[in-house]
Amino acid sequence: MAAAADAPVRQRAPRATSAVPLNAARLLGVELRRNTMPWILPLIAALFWFDSYRPSTITPPLWALRTFWNMGQGHTILDFAPFVAGVAAWMGSRDGRRGLADLVTTTARPRWAAQLAVWAATAIWAVAAYLVFVGVMFAVYAHQGVAGTPPWWYVAVGATAVTAFSAVGFAIGACWPSRFAAPAAAFIGFLAMFLSFQIGFSHAEGWALILPTNSHGSFDGSAQADAGIFYPWLPDLPIARIMFLAGVAVAALGLTGLPARAGGPWLRRAAAVVTLAGAALAGTAVGLASTARQAAEGVVIPALHDAANDAPITYTPACGRAAGVPVCVNPAYGRWLPDVTAALAPMLTEVAGLPGVPVRATQVAAAYPSGGSGPPQPITVDDHPAVLRMQIGLIIMPGPYGFIDQVRLLFAHAFVGAGAGSGSAVQQAVQAALLREAGIPFAAQPGLLANAGNLPGPAPGRATGPVYAAAQRLASLPAAARHAWLAAHLAELRAGQLTLADLP
Amino acid sequence: MNVEISDVTRRFGRTQAVAGVSMRTGTGVFGLLGPNGAGKTTLLRMMATVIPPSSGRVRLLGRDPGGYGPRREIRRRLGYLPQNLGYYPGFTVAEFVEYFALLKEMPPGRVPAAVATAIERVDLGDRARAKLRTLSGGMLRRVGIAQAIVNEPELLLLDEPTAGLDPEQRVAFRALLRDLGERAAVIVSTHLVEDVGAACSEVALMDAGKIVFQGTPDELTARGQGTGAAGDAPLERGYSAVLAAARSATAAA
Repeated sequence: MAAAADAPVRQRAPRATSAVPLNAARLLGVELRRNTMPWILPLIAALFWFDSYRPSTITPPLWALRTFWNMGQGHTILDFAPFVAGVAAWMGSRDGRRGLADLVTTTARPRWAAQLAVWAATAIWAVAAYLVFVGVMFAVYAHQGVAGTPPWWYVAVGATAVTAFSAVGFAIGACWPSRFAAPAAAFIGFLAMFLSFQIGFSHAEGWALILPTNSHGSFDGSAQADAGIFYPWLPDLPIARIMFLAGVAVAALGLTGLPARAGGPWLRRAAAVVTLAGAALAGTAVGLASTARQAAEGVVIPALHDAANDAPITYTPACGRAAGVPVCVNPAYGRWLPDVTAALAPMLTEVAGLPGVPVRATQVAAAYPSGGSGPPQPITVDDHPAVLRMQIGLIIMPGPYGFIDQVRLLFAHAFVGAGAGSGSAVQQAVQAALLREAGIPFAAQPGLLANAGNLPGPAPGRATGPVYAAAQRLASLPAAARHAWLAAHLAELRAGQLTLADLP
Repeated sequence: MNVEISDVTRRFGRTQAVAGVSMRTGTGVFGLLGPNGAGKTTLLRMMATVIPPSSGRVRLLGRDPGGYGPRREIRRRLGYLPQNLGYYPGFTVAEFVEYFALLKEMPPGRVPAAVATAIERVDLGDRARAKLRTLSGGMLRRVGIAQAIVNEPELLLLDEPTAGLDPEQRVAFRALLRDLGERAAVIVSTHLVEDVGAACSEVALMDAGKIVFQGTPDELTARGQGTGAAGDAPLERGYSAVLAAARSATAAA
């Protein structure tokens, strides 16, 4: 034994530095092959179909509307987040649960680096699945002829959110290697999403816009209905959200490198720097979101805004005629052009020859109203020359009372000069009479008013009272007499100078 | 020398698991004997760089494991089989061994051949593609040995390596130990004295955190002759005699 004990220690040639990344890649390959994430994907796929895809199919075939539920309100993230956090925690706690912590510690590769390989494999599976599921959903939408452009920036937000949940879940598992880490992380993921939804519903501005489930302003069914149609999807808020979520992910992963057994002093210092950098990135993103302001084309964050994104998308309109008046819409809305002309034809016929009758009708981008200016007015009539401007994106499609009736109501509302409010009593009466002549009986009008989501002002409960009595009088006149009265009094009517007693 | 330990102690709170142990060893198979709770596993964990000593000096493969850089270099040349080896149930035998080869930062080009060789050496070649969850306890122990030797370590630390092995496998394993001891320092912690007698060129006996005997198996056997100590085999009687002497000396002190 003495002779053996005195034998010299062999010296091994230093390793080639190029072997390190190759070694890491092979390690990642092993982790990818044996990751738990694929086992949970069928469950996520089923949930995704029920929660993200199926409810979206009832919306009109426009990207902004079709993806409002699943991308704007973040249901695709909700479907993934708790499961991804739970599985990531399961993987992060693996060595501790399996009694391999000692053995893994005695290997040359820094513990943090080995853990990052486990996390990376988990995150790759989760993000790849997210992209595939969303990709398939978008492909189905495209096959269904959904018009506009997809919200790619929000897909990036979703993928980053999945990454962040995987990182946080992994950190929970690595720091608390117990069999309870996975359910705890899943519950925390669900709770985070639940709170995010609650805050998102009630906070339309400020820091809460950073939450990926907050659809206020940036991705709202009425606020940005024409994103990707008339103007590009603004990337300002998605960029801030990506920064926030990436910061959370980086900080969580940095935390796993802080314990003594994670690696050497240099590596642990690097982990501390990474943690701080992640926290700073997330904090910066929250600060940026706090500076967000609502513009017509979406949420603008001055520090991130690129003016090039404000340029409208050029297009060749799809046109038709209604009572001889040219009617043009964005080609994305081309499928509704017959409905628009059908809606306008009887109205335009009825008011033909009157002063201020539109010489053409054109669709304009749905514009989010600036703060304090009241609800939007989807259809307006400009003067000199009179042009009917229609924000069709703000009209509920197909709408509980029918798209055509809504267009007629909004046209009549604009034509009598009722403006952004409900209008004066006499304007309401003339509006009611015009609608009845266009085929909407008085009895149906209160319901139409109550359900035309974007029409401002209180709607009458029943078709009774002085307004409908006056409307009945006007409507019962011969068409020529009614037309003559309107020709004589339209300017005063629009100026709000008439009362119900002035009606014939 | 592959291992040089001087006056090493290790405490866990108020419990002193290892109390002033010194030992040196080079290539060859070194047996670490002792009853349960003697401190063998703690001493092995310190040599495996899992935990640092509370005091004393440890040098492994000519390096001080207290520094991160040397410790990492030691770990590249280290093989370790813990007493309670966990495993990843979904991994195959080959994947598990490959995984640790990669963690030991073996050159990637050498990994496939090294994995195949290690698996063959523990006689699991025909089960290389089997999932670990399908293996028996003895087979899992052999998988643990395979991962320990996959990097051809210069310092191999085995904690109760023959636990769960059937007699035929234990005989084969002792032969493997002797072979490994030709080129590396192999330290085997066990409470099975027959393993020591069959495979070790040197042995230390621990009790209550201290080394109470260090010598060859023959010298340990000699300690039991004529003492009437309990045991079925000469080496067991030597083991019992040394332990009894150490305990009576401690009681007298």
